[in-house]
Amino acid sequence: MKSSYLLPYRFKCVGWIIFLPSLIMGLLFFIFNKELPIFDCKVLAISDLEAFGKHHFLTVIPNNIQDEIISILIIIGAFFISFSKEKSEDEYISKLRLESLIWATYINYFILVFSIIFLYEFSFYWILIFNMFTILIVFIIKFNWALWKFKKNTQNEE
Amino acid sequence: MKNKIKIERAKKDMTQAELAQLVQVTRQTINAIEAAKYNLSTALALKIASIFETKVDEIFELEEKDWLE
Repeated sequence: MKSSYLLPYRFKCVGWIIFLPSLIMGLLFFIFNKELPIFDCKVLAISDLEAFGKHHFLTVIPNNIQDEIISILIIIGAFFISFSKEKSEDEYISKLRLESLIWATYINYFILVFSIIFLYEFSFYWILIFNMFTILIVFIIKFNWALWKFKKNTQNEE
Repeated sequence: MKNKIKIERAKKDMTQAELAQLVQVTRQTINAIEAAKYNLSTALALKIASIFETKVDEIFELEEKDWLE
Protein backbone atom coordinates (compact mmCIF):
# COMPACT_ATOMS: atom_id res chain seq x y z
CA MET A 1 0.00 0.00 0.00
CA LYS A 2 1.68 3.21 -1.15
CA SER A 3 2.07 5.71 1.65
CA SER A 4 1.28 8.52 -0.79
CA TYR A 5 -2.37 7.50 -0.38
CA LEU A 6 -2.18 8.00 3.35
CA LEU A 7 -2.86 11.13 5.35
CA PRO A 8 -0.03 12.78 7.31
CA TYR A 9 0.65 11.39 10.81
CA ARG A 10 -0.90 14.41 12.56
CA PHE A 11 -4.36 13.35 11.29
CA LYS A 12 -4.24 10.31 13.58
CA CYS A 13 -4.51 12.43 16.74
CA VAL A 14 -7.24 14.55 15.14
CA GLY A 15 -9.04 11.32 14.25
CA TRP A 16 -9.03 10.04 17.83
CA ILE A 17 -10.28 13.42 19.10
CA ILE A 18 -13.23 13.24 16.69
CA PHE A 19 -13.87 9.48 16.86
CA LEU A 20 -14.03 8.74 20.60
CA PRO A 21 -16.61 11.37 21.65
CA SER A 22 -18.67 10.64 18.51
CA LEU A 23 -18.66 6.92 19.27
CA ILE A 24 -19.84 7.58 22.83
CA MET A 25 -22.58 9.90 21.55
CA GLY A 26 -23.59 7.26 19.02
CA LEU A 27 -23.84 4.55 21.65
CA LEU A 28 -25.87 6.85 23.91
CA PHE A 29 -28.19 7.63 20.99
CA PHE A 30 -28.57 3.89 20.31
CA ILE A 31 -29.38 3.11 23.94
CA PHE A 32 -31.65 6.05 24.80
CA ASN A 33 -32.89 6.98 21.29
CA LYS A 34 -33.36 10.58 22.36
CA GLU A 35 -33.35 13.29 19.69
CA LEU A 36 -32.39 16.72 20.94
CA PRO A 37 -34.68 19.47 19.54
CA ILE A 38 -31.66 21.69 18.80
CA PHE A 39 -30.94 19.43 15.82
CA ASP A 40 -34.38 19.85 14.24
CA CYS A 41 -34.10 21.52 10.86
CA LYS A 42 -35.07 21.26 7.20
CA VAL A 43 -32.88 19.19 4.91
CA LEU A 44 -32.59 18.61 1.18
CA ALA A 45 -33.53 15.00 0.47
CA ILE A 46 -32.45 13.62 -2.90
CA SER A 47 -34.68 10.68 -2.11
CA ASP A 48 -37.22 10.41 0.69
CA LEU A 49 -39.14 7.14 0.98
CA GLU A 50 -41.66 7.30 3.80
CA ALA A 51 -42.40 4.14 5.76
CA PHE A 52 -45.56 2.78 4.06
CA GLY A 53 -45.85 6.13 2.32
CA LYS A 54 -44.93 8.11 -0.72
CA HIS A 55 -41.54 8.34 -2.37
CA HIS A 56 -40.30 11.89 -2.97
CA PHE A 57 -37.29 13.09 -4.97
CA LEU A 58 -35.33 16.31 -4.53
CA THR A 59 -37.48 17.71 -1.79
CA VAL A 60 -36.93 19.72 1.41
CA ILE A 61 -38.19 17.87 4.47
CA PRO A 62 -38.13 18.42 8.26
CA ASN A 63 -35.63 16.14 9.98
CA ASN A 64 -33.60 15.79 13.17
CA ILE A 65 -29.99 15.64 12.01
CA GLN A 66 -28.44 14.46 15.29
CA ASP A 67 -27.92 10.90 14.01
CA GLU A 68 -26.54 12.15 10.69
CA ILE A 69 -23.98 14.38 12.44
CA ILE A 70 -22.92 11.59 14.82
CA SER A 71 -22.58 9.09 11.94
CA ILE A 72 -20.48 11.43 9.82
CA LEU A 73 -18.21 12.30 12.74
CA ILE A 74 -17.66 8.61 13.57
CA ILE A 75 -16.80 7.88 9.94
CA ILE A 76 -14.47 10.89 9.58
CA GLY A 77 -12.72 10.12 12.88
CA ALA A 78 -12.30 6.42 12.09
CA PHE A 79 -11.13 7.25 8.56
CA PHE A 80 -8.48 9.66 9.85
CA ILE A 81 -7.24 7.07 12.36
CA SER A 82 -7.21 4.25 9.82
CA PHE A 83 -5.57 6.02 6.91
CA SER A 84 -2.99 8.24 8.58
CA LYS A 85 0.66 7.29 8.34
CA GLU A 86 2.39 5.84 11.35
CA LYS A 87 5.15 7.93 12.93
CA SER A 88 7.70 5.62 11.26
CA GLU A 89 6.19 4.29 8.08
CA ASP A 90 7.99 1.61 6.08
CA GLU A 91 7.19 -1.39 3.87
CA TYR A 92 6.56 -3.73 6.80
CA ILE A 93 3.99 -1.34 8.28
CA SER A 94 2.37 -1.14 4.83
CA LYS A 95 2.17 -4.94 4.76
CA LEU A 96 0.53 -4.99 8.20
CA ARG A 97 -1.91 -2.32 7.06
CA LEU A 98 -2.91 -4.23 3.93
CA GLU A 99 -3.34 -7.53 5.82
CA SER A 100 -5.41 -5.80 8.50
CA LEU A 101 -7.67 -4.19 5.89
CA ILE A 102 -8.28 -7.52 4.15
CA TRP A 103 -8.93 -9.20 7.51
CA ALA A 104 -11.38 -6.42 8.51
CA THR A 105 -13.24 -6.85 5.21
CA TYR A 106 -13.54 -10.62 5.77
CA ILE A 107 -14.86 -10.12 9.33
CA ASN A 108 -17.25 -7.38 8.25
CA TYR A 109 -18.89 -9.50 5.55
CA PHE A 110 -18.96 -12.58 7.74
CA ILE A 111 -20.93 -10.59 10.34
CA LEU A 112 -23.22 -9.27 7.59
CA VAL A 113 -23.96 -12.70 6.11
CA PHE A 114 -24.51 -14.14 9.62
CA SER A 115 -26.94 -11.29 10.33
CA ILE A 116 -28.79 -11.79 7.06
CA ILE A 117 -29.40 -15.43 7.99
CA PHE A 118 -30.23 -15.06 11.71
CA LEU A 119 -31.50 -11.52 12.36
CA TYR A 120 -34.78 -10.06 11.19
CA GLU A 121 -36.94 -6.92 11.29
CA PHE A 122 -35.47 -4.08 13.36
CA SER A 123 -32.65 -6.26 14.69
CA PHE A 124 -31.33 -6.48 11.14
CA TYR A 125 -31.92 -2.75 10.59
CA TRP A 126 -29.61 -1.95 13.51
CA ILE A 127 -26.96 -4.34 12.17
CA LEU A 128 -27.04 -2.39 8.90
CA ILE A 129 -26.55 0.81 10.88
CA PHE A 130 -23.54 -0.65 12.75
CA ASN A 131 -22.23 -2.13 9.50
CA MET A 132 -21.55 1.42 8.28
CA PHE A 133 -18.77 1.63 10.83
CA THR A 134 -17.60 -1.90 11.60
CA ILE A 135 -15.11 -2.29 8.76
CA LEU A 136 -13.16 0.78 9.92
CA ILE A 137 -13.46 -0.12 13.61
CA VAL A 138 -12.36 -3.73 13.07
CA PHE A 139 -9.46 -2.47 10.93
CA ILE A 140 -8.33 -0.04 13.65
CA ILE A 141 -8.40 -2.80 16.28
CA LYS A 142 -6.66 -5.38 14.06
CA PHE A 143 -3.97 -3.02 12.71
CA ASN A 144 -3.07 -1.57 16.09
CA TRP A 145 -2.97 -5.04 17.64
CA ALA A 146 -0.68 -6.25 14.81
CA LEU A 147 1.55 -3.19 15.30
CA TRP A 148 1.76 -3.75 19.05
CA LYS A 149 2.62 -7.44 18.56
CA PHE A 150 5.26 -6.53 15.96
CA LYS A 151 6.92 -3.95 18.19
CA LYS A 152 6.78 -6.29 21.20
CA ASN A 153 8.34 -9.22 19.30
CA THR A 154 11.11 -7.12 17.78
CA GLN A 155 11.91 -5.08 20.86
CA ASN A 156 15.40 -6.34 21.54
CA GLU A 157 18.31 -5.84 19.26
CA GLU A 158 19.99 -9.19 18.64
CA MET B 1 14.31 -16.60 3.27
CA LYS B 2 17.69 -17.02 4.98
CA ASN B 3 20.01 -14.06 5.21
CA LYS B 4 23.42 -13.00 6.44
CA ILE B 5 22.54 -9.46 7.47
CA LYS B 6 23.71 -10.00 11.04
CA ILE B 7 27.09 -11.24 9.81
CA GLU B 8 27.45 -8.34 7.39
CA ARG B 9 26.51 -5.88 10.13
CA ALA B 10 29.13 -7.39 12.41
CA LYS B 11 31.77 -6.98 9.67
CA LYS B 12 30.89 -3.30 9.40
CA ASP B 13 30.36 -2.90 13.19
CA MET B 14 26.87 -1.61 12.52
CA THR B 15 23.81 -1.76 14.76
CA GLN B 16 20.31 -2.61 13.53
CA ALA B 17 19.27 0.98 14.18
CA GLU B 18 22.14 2.35 12.08
CA LEU B 19 21.35 0.01 9.20
CA ALA B 20 17.64 0.85 9.48
CA GLN B 21 18.38 4.54 9.22
CA LEU B 22 20.59 4.05 6.15
CA VAL B 23 17.97 2.04 4.26
CA GLN B 24 15.03 4.14 5.55
CA VAL B 25 13.08 1.53 7.46
CA THR B 26 12.41 0.99 11.18
CA ARG B 27 14.80 -0.96 13.41
CA GLN B 28 12.00 -3.43 14.07
CA THR B 29 11.79 -4.17 10.33
CA ILE B 30 15.52 -4.97 10.20
CA ASN B 31 15.02 -7.20 13.25
CA ALA B 32 12.13 -9.00 11.53
CA ILE B 33 14.17 -9.48 8.32
CA GLU B 34 17.15 -10.90 10.24
CA ALA B 35 14.84 -13.30 12.07
CA ALA B 36 13.43 -14.40 8.67
CA LYS B 37 9.96 -13.27 9.76
CA TYR B 38 9.55 -10.93 6.80
CA ASN B 39 10.38 -11.25 3.08
CA LEU B 40 11.56 -7.81 2.12
CA SER B 41 11.00 -6.06 -1.20
CA THR B 42 13.52 -6.14 -4.04
CA ALA B 43 14.27 -2.44 -3.59
CA LEU B 44 15.08 -2.86 0.08
CA ALA B 45 17.24 -5.93 -0.61
CA LEU B 46 19.20 -3.92 -3.20
CA LYS B 47 19.61 -1.03 -0.75
CA ILE B 48 20.94 -3.37 1.95
CA ALA B 49 23.33 -5.02 -0.51
CA SER B 50 24.53 -1.58 -1.58
CA ILE B 51 25.21 -0.55 2.04
CA PHE B 52 27.24 -3.72 2.61
CA GLU B 53 28.98 -3.31 -0.77
CA THR B 54 28.05 -6.80 -1.83
CA LYS B 55 25.55 -8.62 -4.06
CA VAL B 56 21.97 -9.44 -3.10
CA ASP B 57 22.42 -13.20 -3.54
CA GLU B 58 25.44 -13.14 -1.23
CA ILE B 59 23.23 -11.87 1.57
CA PHE B 60 19.88 -13.56 0.86
CA GLU B 61 19.17 -17.20 0.09
CA LEU B 62 15.87 -18.77 -0.95
CA GLU B 63 14.60 -21.68 1.12
CA GLU B 64 12.40 -24.61 0.08
CA LYS B 65 9.32 -23.04 1.69
CA ASP B 66 9.74 -19.83 -0.33
CA TRP B 67 8.97 -21.82 -3.49
CA LEU B 68 5.71 -23.03 -1.97
CA GLU B 69 4.30 -19.53 -1.24
